[in-house]
Amino acid sequence: MTDEAGRPGRVTPLRPRRAAAEESLKRALDPHGEEALGKAYDARLIRRLWTFIRPYRRIFWLSVACLPLNAACMLAQPYILKLAIDRYVSAGDARGLGRMGLVYVAAIVGECAFFYAQYYLTMLVAQRSLADLRVRVFAHVQRLPMSYFDRHPVGRLVTRLTSDVDVLNEMFAAGAMTIFMDVLTMLGIVVIMLGLDARLALAALALMPVLVVGIDFFRRAARRTYRQIRERIARLNSYLQEALSGMTIIQLFARERRCFEEFDALNDEHREANHWSNIYEAALFSMVEALASISGALVVWWAAGDILAGAIAFGTLVAFLEYIQRFFIPIREFSIKYAVMQSAMASAERVFQLLDTPPAIVSPARAYAPERVRGTIEFDHVWFAYKGEDWVLRDVSLAVGAGEKIAIVGATGSGKTSLIKLLARFYEVSRGAIRVDGVDVRDWDLASLRRRIGVVLQDVFLFSGDVAGNISLGRPEIDTAAIEEVARRVHAWEFIGRLPGGLHERVRERGSNLSTGQRQLLAFARALAYDPAILVLDEATSSVDTETEMVIQDALATLMRDRTALVIAHRLTTIEHSDRIVVLHHGAVRETGTHRELIAARGIYHRLYELQYALADDAAAGRAAR
Amino acid sequence: MRRLWSYMIRYQGRYALGLACLLATGTLAMTVPYLLKRAVDTIAAGGPPAAVAWFALGIVAIAVAQSVVRTCSRFLIFNVGRDIEYDLRNDLFAHLERLPLAYYQTQQTGDLMSRLVNDITAVRMLLGVGFLNLVNTPIYYLYAVTIMASMDWRLTLASLVPYPLVLVIVKRTSRQLMERTLKTQEGLAAMSSRVQENLSGIHVVQAYVREQAEIDAFARLNETFSAQNMALAKVRGIIMPVMRGVSTLTTLVVLWYGGSRVIAGRLSLGDLVAFIGYLHILAWPTMALGWMLSILQRGRAALQRLEVVFQAAPAIDDRLATPLDRPLAGALAFRQVAFAYEGRASGRRALVDVDVELPAGATLALVGRTGSGKTSLVQLLPRLFDATAGRVEIDGRDVRTIPLATLRRAIGYVPQDPFLFSRSVRDNIRFGAPAADAAAVQRVAEIAALDRDIAELPRGYDTIVGERGITLSGGQKQRVTLARALLVDPAILILDDALSSVDTETERRILGRLRGVMRARTSIIIAHRISTVMEADLILVLDDGRVVEVGDHAALLARDGSYADLFRRQRLAEELEAL
Repeated sequence: MTDEAGRPGRVTPLRPRRAAAEESLKRALDPHGEEALGKAYDARLIRRLWTFIRPYRRIFWLSVACLPLNAACMLAQPYILKLAIDRYVSAGDARGLGRMGLVYVAAIVGECAFFYAQYYLTMLVAQRSLADLRVRVFAHVQRLPMSYFDRHPVGRLVTRLTSDVDVLNEMFAAGAMTIFMDVLTMLGIVVIMLGLDARLALAALALMPVLVVGIDFFRRAARRTYRQIRERIARLNSYLQEALSGMTIIQLFARERRCFEEFDALNDEHREANHWSNIYEAALFSMVEALASISGALVVWWAAGDILAGAIAFGTLVAFLEYIQRFFIPIREFSIKYAVMQSAMASAERVFQLLDTPPAIVSPARAYAPERVRGTIEFDHVWFAYKGEDWVLRDVSLAVGAGEKIAIVGATGSGKTSLIKLLARFYEVSRGAIRVDGVDVRDWDLASLRRRIGVVLQDVFLFSGDVAGNISLGRPEIDTAAIEEVARRVHAWEFIGRLPGGLHERVRERGSNLSTGQRQLLAFARALAYDPAILVLDEATSSVDTETEMVIQDALATLMRDRTALVIAHRLTTIEHSDRIVVLHHGAVRETGTHRELIAARGIYHRLYELQYALADDAAAGRAAR
Repeated sequence: MRRLWSYMIRYQGRYALGLACLLATGTLAMTVPYLLKRAVDTIAAGGPPAAVAWFALGIVAIAVAQSVVRTCSRFLIFNVGRDIEYDLRNDLFAHLERLPLAYYQTQQTGDLMSRLVNDITAVRMLLGVGFLNLVNTPIYYLYAVTIMASMDWRLTLASLVPYPLVLVIVKRTSRQLMERTLKTQEGLAAMSSRVQENLSGIHVVQAYVREQAEIDAFARLNETFSAQNMALAKVRGIIMPVMRGVSTLTTLVVLWYGGSRVIAGRLSLGDLVAFIGYLHILAWPTMALGWMLSILQRGRAALQRLEVVFQAAPAIDDRLATPLDRPLAGALAFRQVAFAYEGRASGRRALVDVDVELPAGATLALVGRTGSGKTSLVQLLPRLFDATAGRVEIDGRDVRTIPLATLRRAIGYVPQDPFLFSRSVRDNIRFGAPAADAAAVQRVAEIAALDRDIAELPRGYDTIVGERGITLSGGQKQRVTLARALLVDPAILILDDALSSVDTETERRILGRLRGVMRARTSIIIAHRISTVMEADLILVLDDGRVVEVGDHAALLARDGSYADLFRRQRLAEELEAL
């Protein structure tokens, strides 16, 4: 390496520090938990893959049938050459030679045609079965419980559905599946050579042991190296991804240099693994080429005496040389196919692992799915923990009448959000039961249950698309008139009307082109259009201005009208709209009643309420002291 | 291309060595058919077998020698390709680290990622396999054609007849191959973003029972993608047979025409064998030609796209900076500051005519509705953006004259969005001060009221927070970002609505502990709760980018403007409840 000053392409004065990446960093960045072994063939995985190929097995077997035909046409060619030389060239029979030429051409055409047919049919099967696999995985992921998404970052799941399945596609496309056929073809060549001349065949195959040892060495070395490469590139890319997302933080904390060093270390490790794979591959490739040449030389040497003695014909020699050439062709592609197969197995493993994750929350066999819902809710001694015995809710009991409006109040971490998530069965209660209309939510048809419950969470999620689509969520029965109607009722129409595109204004990814208040109102419109019997709402915390606040409050009142409402309230106005206040504290219901009753009781609610004043008083005291 | 050249120059030594090995490999390869010819001619002439043995031995020796130089040529050149890939990736990363926030606001991370991943791969292919074959192919052709012509020029011409056809086919298929590859990449990208969005909003999808509609929508994209893949497969599948067909056709021509010349006695049998040998050698470079062309095209396109990233000059330049003679104390001044986001469709200015002074050690609070310019104003201090007009000063110096690193180290910024890295809690807190000791980390964690939370984490400070802090709650994340900012011991502390997800009680605790910290430094607090800001020395009320009111709590109340209004409303609501 030259010094840094002399590098014209260098845009940075930063000096790479050749340190190994820290262990903790590696652990944090391990995006896939790469399997330990890196097998290139795993019968269990192949069997599972087969379940997706099975529906298209006719096409599949048709494509498999093309393989021996393709091989036969290919293997016939050297023999035709031998006949041409021995029968016609040496006899000087030009017409016979012409006929043989035509046969040869036919063999080539056959080889190419069968090859193409085989490839085309394989790809057809691959596309169909992999499309099925993708839809299956996607549909499966739709049914996974919320707890799964808490533990698995979205990016990783996207990778399963796209890149990992694409690696499987590459397995078909690179012809890695034909690796078994390659072996048969090579065996065929050995048999033909033995048939032509056993002694010459032995000379041609004399170096086979070297080849076997060489390939075995390569397989061992490459298995580890290829796995390392996959791990390291995944790590490098997740580091990069994270750095790009958090670049502002890196810059604000003047951490560029250190991050560069970390990146450099990961980059260097990746390069090193690739250096080794280059060396292995170069050695394998050169060895195969050399063995092909040497085998040819041995055959010539051996055959020379025989030809001179008249024991064999000259054409046999030519045929042998051709067969040797063809024998080595699949071996040349071995390293590529091996790498592809290995990645494919790793990817298949991950995809199937995802498919094996049980959906956990499903409708029971005989599910309750009523026509009409009254909207009563009953929490009956509900206990809940996200994991183990870390109780988030402890023995919560609460009965809510149809049309009643409940405000849930409590400090962060008191279990408010968990309570409403349990109601829509995003999570399952650990103990006790939640009943809607007197029926345990676990006995409900999941879709029916959720259709009755309108959920508005604190962090409003908008899909890219247009405003209208975000209100209707693509349900055909909600037409433009209905959308406008609900938008007007929750005061969203005021700002929608001002957008250049109105209802058809594009909403960018996650609604980044709309303000917090606007997003909130859109979520209200969405819930109103859904017209649920029960409204569940996690009020957004105080990040909007007072004016917007008032609009939102008014919209909220509209939204709650004529339905049972369970609202996690952060604002006193919201509490005012409710019939009853439930105070959650450390996961337990500690107080219930109206605002006045609770204030009078001088309990937790009173304390929470006082806090607003207490803060203000503290501040005033601080100022007076100065 | 110029940039690529500058990288290649760095490795000129190894490139030269690799080239020499390539040349040696080619030369050795050419001798094999010749030796074969001599052997066959000897056999045809009736011996002696010992002579044939010598030729065979010659081939063996050459094969061994060739395998050595071939191995060297390949790993030398491919490894240089990997080295340049490494350099390129490092340089890009270093460049990206210097690009301003404005750049990242206009770029999608996914887009940049695919550029960095796919385009760098394409460039590496160009440098490795592409380079090798680009050199190899002409060497082999030149050699083989010369030797063949010297044996029999008529036969040589005849055997080259199919080659124009080859070129035409190669050009056509490689173009199609590239177009269709791009199509499938687009299809995959479309599918990815669809899945990404679906999963990010899975709670909405499930809550509103939209699963089936989502599956249907995905299935449609999936269908398109499969069709694109199939279209690609059709081209990919045709290349091999066609090229093989053509190359065998060539052999056939040689056999036919050459055979007749052997019969006519114009050519020795050995010559014919050698001819076929040479054609065999040429078969691979010819077949690879199409592949090479597409590697070349893709590599060039990738280079151009990477160049666009490199050309995105850092808008924040540090050239005006002169070193400071003493550390920044933190007296702030905004003088006639105006600011507009570049390229915003609205074209509206985010800040107009902001004129404020704040002595070192004082506390400034910013109040105003969302979008009134509060965040824009504080982002000018660490130069995440530069003011469009006016000056931002610290200790009387224009921030643009303070070295960027010094400036930013003097500022502890707690942004609205609590971004964490997938490291341990400790490393996240130490992000700006990696050398800080355990006691210091402990201290800031206590101020941020994190100590109890951390004690409950499975591995305490060593718990890895997961991608973007996925394992922590919103409030916990915000508190980690607060601790992170405190640990750098900044002269200026900025809290941009930094405690919004923290409950009131914890907030009160944190503010109480922060009081001591803030006494020693200049602070800027953006908040919605009056109770959070009323203690500040100076309160700015922003509206639509303008300062509409300025003063301390008492003065603003006395002024009876929008601040007083806001205060009254909050108070009123509370009093109303108390009835």
